[in-house]
Amino acid sequence: MATGDEKPVMVVGVDESEQSIYALEWTLDRFFAPYAPNFPFKLLIIHAKPNAVSALGFAGPGIVEVVPHVDADLKHTAAKVVDKAKGICESKSVHGAMMEVFEGDARNILCEVVDKHHASLLVVGSHGHGAIKRAVIGSVSDYCAHHAHCSVIIVKKPKIKL
Amino acid sequence: MADNHATAALKTSTVEKQPETTEAEAPRVMTRTKRMMVAIDESDSSFYALQWVIDHFSDLLMTTETAEAEGDLLTVVHVQSQFYHFAAFPAGPGGATAVYASTAMIESVKKAQQEASAALLSRALQMCRAKQIRAETLVLEGDAKDMICQAVEQMHVDLLVVGSRGLGKIKRAFLGSVSDYCAQHASCPILIVRPPKEITK
Repeated sequence: MATGDEKPVMVVGVDESEQSIYALEWTLDRFFAPYAPNFPFKLLIIHAKPNAVSALGFAGPGIVEVVPHVDADLKHTAAKVVDKAKGICESKSVHGAMMEVFEGDARNILCEVVDKHHASLLVVGSHGHGAIKRAVIGSVSDYCAHHAHCSVIIVKKPKIKL
Repeated sequence: MADNHATAALKTSTVEKQPETTEAEAPRVMTRTKRMMVAIDESDSSFYALQWVIDHFSDLLMTTETAEAEGDLLTVVHVQSQFYHFAAFPAGPGGATAVYASTAMIESVKKAQQEASAALLSRALQMCRAKQIRAETLVLEGDAKDMICQAVEQMHVDLLVVGSRGLGKIKRAFLGSVSDYCAQHASCPILIVRPPKEITK
């Protein structure tokens, strides 16, 4: 906690969706880019790779053959997300950001990371599902807003209204 | 009146075009005027949220020269609940009858509400001034959720800050949660500040 005392920790959760990329860019623009090189927060970018079996959502005789492919695909996606996030950080000259990839359910992972690093702020994008989809799929941003032990920023990509 | 409508329409169309062009030209450059809005009510958690914002974002909000040029602005908004102009009192075994409240009563309630919000807002302003933050206050009347989301749209807020009472799931479903509603419906990013329960800072 030696370095953590001076700078509060900010955790940003990313997945492969546009909204979370937008959330990361928004965060960097708002809180990091104008203050280079002396950033007011310590940045930690987290990607939660879904578990291959849970991502499939069905169980059946064919699952054993499909799992390795799905797993490889998920790893590939995770690598792409990590690269993209690093690229965004570089393009905004934000150095010193830590990136970690975890496997499992995004909600639990983000809350655990917040606890582990005693983060003061968690930033997540929002898929902007409607009420019914939220009830069925669940919403990571909702869960984090209620259960994380720190303040949460939910960044929504603005829809261009005509 | 027609003029007003025309100019209003023009204004909204030009303003809405701006975000499109900025996104098209330089997706990295966001509008420099950062406007943060903090919603306050009588609860402690909303004042804690204001304090949290002041503490953590003091770099962003302090009135240094650069901030003045960029136009960082903290808006503190308080939404007064509407006072219905009639109240239903059960008149007796016959059932409920609606009794129109006398004007004197309405006046005194309104005055009490105004004094209460003035007290809240002056407390908020004091907190801001202590850290040299440029702040403005705003009082709205109506349903908190809707008014806050409307204000966000009209004033082009960059970040909305709300406290959270830490209601459980069931209470949220019944009592409704302003922070929940705003998180889903506000057109800007929202910061939900959680009160420290047993969290040691």
